[in-house]
Parts: sequence; structure tokens; C-alpha cells
Amino acid sequence: MRFAVTEDQRLLAGAVGEALAATCPPAAVREAGRDPAARRAAAWQALAEVGLLGALVPEEHGGLGLTIADTVLAYVETGRHAVPGPLVESAVAAPSLVGPDWLVKLAAGVATVSVAMPHLLDADLADLLVVRSGAAIVLAEPGEITLIPNVSIDATRRLFSAGPYRPGPPGRKTHGTEAAGGALASDTGIAGGFHEGFDRPVEHAFDQAFDRAALATAAQLIGLGRWLLDASVAHARRRRQFGAAVGSFQAVKHRLADVAIALEFAAPVVYRAAYALTHRTPTARRDVAAAKIAAGEAAGGAARGALQVHGAAGYTGELDLHLWLTRVWALRAAWGDESLHRARLRDALLGDSPVERLP
Amino acid sequence: MDLVFTERQRAFRAEVRDWLAAHVPPEPLPSMDTETGFERHREWERTLAGARLSAVSWPREHGGRDADLIDWLIFEEEYWSHGAPGRVSQNGVFLLGPTLMAHGTEEQKRRLLPRMARADDIWAQAWSEPEAGSDLAALRATATPDGDGWRLTGQKTWSSRAAHADWCFGLFRSDPGARRHRGLTYFLVPLTADGVTVRPIAQLDGEHGFADIFFDDVYAPAGQVLGEPGAGWRVAMATAGSERGITLRSPGRFMATSDRLLALARESDDQTLRDAAVRAWADADAYRLYAFHAAARAAGGAEPGPEASLTKVFWSELDLRMHEVALELLGPRVTAQWLDGFLFALAGPIYAGTNEIQRNIIAERVLGLPR
Repeated sequence: MRFAVTEDQRLLAGAVGEALAATCPPAAVREAGRDPAARRAAAWQALAEVGLLGALVPEEHGGLGLTIADTVLAYVETGRHAVPGPLVESAVAAPSLVGPDWLVKLAAGVATVSVAMPHLLDADLADLLVVRSGAAIVLAEPGEITLIPNVSIDATRRLFSAGPYRPGPPGRKTHGTEAAGGALASDTGIAGGFHEGFDRPVEHAFDQAFDRAALATAAQLIGLGRWLLDASVAHARRRRQFGAAVGSFQAVKHRLADVAIALEFAAPVVYRAAYALTHRTPTARRDVAAAKIAAGEAAGGAARGALQVHGAAGYTGELDLHLWLTRVWALRAAWGDESLHRARLRDALLGDSPVERLP
Repeated sequence: MDLVFTERQRAFRAEVRDWLAAHVPPEPLPSMDTETGFERHREWERTLAGARLSAVSWPREHGGRDADLIDWLIFEEEYWSHGAPGRVSQNGVFLLGPTLMAHGTEEQKRRLLPRMARADDIWAQAWSEPEAGSDLAALRATATPDGDGWRLTGQKTWSSRAAHADWCFGLFRSDPGARRHRGLTYFLVPLTADGVTVRPIAQLDGEHGFADIFFDDVYAPAGQVLGEPGAGWRVAMATAGSERGITLRSPGRFMATSDRLLALARESDDQTLRDAAVRAWADADAYRLYAFHAAARAAGGAEPGPEASLTKVFWSELDLRMHEVALELLGPRVTAQWLDGFLFALAGPIYAGTNEIQRNIIAERVLGLPR
């Protein structure tokens, strides 16, 4: 029993943190809200170079062949820097869903993937769209699925619904099924539970992709929350009212102390879920649910606290703060909102089977 | 990252589990805040000590087992899941003991620790005074040099266990010229000493668990000073760190409560309360993971610091929330166990430094906000 981050995990996280400090300043995050191409700019390339984009891709396809536990701290860093783009979708979810040809491209950082969960994030710039349709996984190239824009609270995250599907010429490797064109719904009769180069049942692949992506999102929420706490503390030390730093007032202190407590106790829950997924423990799904809830609530508290402590300045678009706030709100709803994860936790804990504690 | 208990850890758990299954009293003991209950709890501590289980994290030479933090967490999980009695010796074993080992002389350790481990001496804390609660550094009780020793005068109050305990530990102002945190000395005093008067105080639960302690020119030889004279604040903070961190209220206690809460929630169709119970269970589980994580950091050489305040707020508010949910789930079917637990949980956000004080410490010493 040594429930601590390993040196390798720390090194990868450190490399990711450094790469993002150099390539993903707040100005880059802001730019991603204005210019779609900026969602796949310098930071994306830097993450490919440090290996994060291919971290979960097997070595024979050009990746690092790491586990989700190996990368959990690195995802905390991607949250801290609010890195834009479909990172979790491409680097965490997609490796469970696509075949070898795409794995190679993902690891090289030359492709981005959008996965419908249920919305397609950044589908306007993705090279591949992955949509689940009944018992099939549909891999579509841009243009094959009509994209219907959705609202998004975070300007750096563009969300789309999948509209009508018009596949290209048959026989292309990217197609998961011998599907006929039409609406993507469970009753469209898209055939087959497998797609080429893919040896696992669709159900299993989607569950794995979902749980891993939810976990990585939880890790990002921890990083976002920590950035927000640091920013709030810095502001509260600097900002003076009534002749004193506002951070000297107990109302402010206690609020930020609560933010710190929630983040401190959420992080090990996220690490444990990464461990459970990696080792495929029977409690893994429940542990991911607990992680997504704990991280979402802690980051949500950090966001509310940060906005309140920053006052009216925090409500402006001039400060960078709003980029982190809107990201938190967006990610709390991504890869299963807390309502979904609460239901999973409830089913696991209040169901008929005895509750296991691991270890 | 490794979350698997070793063979040795599993064997230790099995030993503790088997021993508890054979020895935990089938019926709850009377309240330790009554005279009879106190002595029954003392007997239980002696039974524990007989199996070297009263102070597992202490060194062997003082009656412990050299258990590391993980072993101690394992012990606690088993202890509370078996519904074993509350620890009447906790002030000594968990708070003063570690402080004595860090700051005491060899003679003090040899003299006091084995008796503490066997519950021959049960200790009370004597921190608060009528005008010095949260603001402990405002304390007024004095220590005046007298030959090789000291004379103690003043009043301590809200001292848990003091009504029936044998000894107390507390701070006295030994340098009348120094202010606040300076010039304080940490004393160990038998409650049977001449000039000591203990006046039990009725609590809101109807028991007399805590007490006023009056010191009227009480003689304390030099051997009853813990640490250097004048360095009492620093020594006391070591004790406070133990009190706020994971060593006083381990995850095992709250895991046991959360398991019982979950059992109540399964019988309920109130969705709000079911969710609240699930959440509390997950929070107790989070405390457990936090403790494992902290144990790994401690094994890596990290010193416990003001982070203990994070822990204290977390477990005290979790405990209260769990009991509130249980009371709602039970309604008129409430049991003595849950009711007593609720009353006890109400004290959590107050003792060991109120949660307001803890939040100040977190803000100032963990986050770096200005005083």
C-alpha cells in the first residue's frame, strides 16, 4: 500500500505543465474562443511532443502504452492551464474506439477526434467524428454527418448535435458499419456491433471510453479548481478595501478555506478512480462516479468562490478568470453530469449487492 | 500508485479482527462520563493493553506495536466496525503520548507512557480558561518558580474527561513579563495533587464529561514540565496537530457510521435522504483515501503541518451531517446509539479548536492570506 503519485507520473505531469506554460497562456485560451483553429494550435503540438496525445495508445501504434493512472496527474495540469480543444475526446476516449490507422494519427498529434457524449465537442475542426448508434459505433469523416450547433457556456468549446448521416463511398476503413444513410438513432437499423480493426464489443468499448474520459475530466476539474483557488488567493492578497487586503477578512478567508478543503479531499478520490480503472477493479465504475462528483463539486465551489472574491472585476470579460469559470461549468456537464454519476453511485451503494470497499 | 494491502498488513487486520470479535463487549458500556462507565471503559482499555492493542502506533518499549500510519488506520477500521467502546484514554494515547515522545525526557517517557498505555493513568486536557477559549494565547493561569519546581494557580475549564481522570496536561504562564504565545510552559499535573479542585460541569447531553479544574498554589516539581520552560506554546501545538489531524478521529470511525447510515437509507424511499446518505458514505470514503494518501506522504518524509486543520473541519462536519441524516431517516424510531452519536457529533465542530479557528489557520497558514 503506497497510495502516492509515482516519480514517472510526476515527471509526465511536470513535462505537460511546462509545455502548457510555454504554449497555452491565458491569451491562447481566450483566442480559442474567437478563432476555431486556435483550439488546435501550439499547445496541441506541444502535448503531442511530450507524448500526452499518444499516452494511452499502444506502443505498436506509436503511442506510449501508458495506463490512465499514469496520466491522471498530467490531466490535472491540462485543467490547470485550461487547455482548449477536444483533448480528452482525442487522447482519452478515442483510443478505446478507433482502429490502428487512427491510433497512429492520434499519437502523432495530426488528428483530432470528436466523440458524441451526447454532443460532439469541437466537431467543426475534428478529423473524425465518433457517434454511437444503437449497438454500433459510427466513425464518420467531416462532411458525412450534418452538424447542428448547440449552445455552450464555454466559448472555447463548440458543441454540435449529430444530424443526418451520409456516408462516403463504401469500403473505407474509417467506417465502423455498413450503414445506410439517414438519421443517427438507435432505430435506424445500422448493422453490426463491431467495426474494422476493432476486436471488442461496442458496449464495452463505449463504457471504457466513457469511464476513462469522465476520469480525465474529473482530473481536469481538480486542476481548474486549483488554478481558481490560487487566483482567488492572489487577488485577495492584492485587492485592498477599507484600508486592508480583502483576504484579511474572515468572510473571505473562510470561503476560500472551504474551497481548499473540498479540493484537497477530492483529489485522492480522483487518483483512486484512476487506479481502479487501470486495474479493472469491480468498483471502477462507482469510483469514477464518485470522482466526477467530488471533482465537479470542488471545482464548482472554487469557481463560485473565485467569482465572489474577485467581485465585479471577476464578472468582466477583461479578466482571464471567466475562461476558467466557464470551463468548470462546461466540464461539470461533460462525460456524464453529476446527476448521471449520482445515479450510478446510488445504484452501487443502495442496490442489493453488498457494498465493497477496496482495498 | 498502489492500493493493495501487503500480506503483513492483511495479517495484522486479521489478527485485530479476530481479537475484537472475541473481546468486544456484546452490550454497549455505560457512558464514560459517569463514574461507573468511566471505570468500565478503563477496564476495557486494560483488556486492549493486555493484547498490546491500546496504543498500536507507539513504540514497543512503551507498550505499543510500532505500527505505522497504515497499520493504525487498519486497526481503527476494524475497531470501529466492530462497535468497540469509545476510547476513554484518547487524550493520553493519541494526544499527549506523541507529544511526550517528541518533547519529553527519557525519564518522563519511562515513567508516564506505560501507565498511559495500560490506562493506569487517564489524562484530561486543560487548555481552555473562562476567558481563553478559541484565543488560547489569552490564558491567565500562572506558574511561579518555587525552588526546583513551580507553583500553579488559575482555572481551566471545559476539560473533557477531567471529572474522573487521574492527570491533566495544560499550559501555564511562567513569565509574567511575556505576552501571548511567549512565556508559556507545558505542565503535567495529577488531579489528586494538593490544591487541585475538580468541579464537574453538566453537559447538554445530561452527563458530566467535562469539568472546571481549579489550581490553588499547586506544587509541580520540575519533572512535571514537558519540554523547556517558556516553550509551552510550541509543545502544545504538537498536541493540537495530533488532535486536528487523522490521529484523533480516524476514517474508520466515520466509515463505520456511514455503513450504518447506508443501511438505514436502503430501507427508506425518501430520495433526498437516500442521496444524502450516499453522499456521506462517499465523503467518509474520501477521508479514508485522503488518509492513505497522507500516510504515503508521511512515509516519504513529509511533516504534518497546518494541513491538519483541513482534516478537522472535514471529519467534524461529516460526522454531524451523517447523524443529522440518520435522525431524519429514523424519525420516531431513533435509537439511543444514533441520539448519543448526534449529541457527541455536535461537539466536533467546537472542540480541538473551533472550525472557525481551523478555517483561519487554513486561510493564513496553508493558503497564505494575510492575518
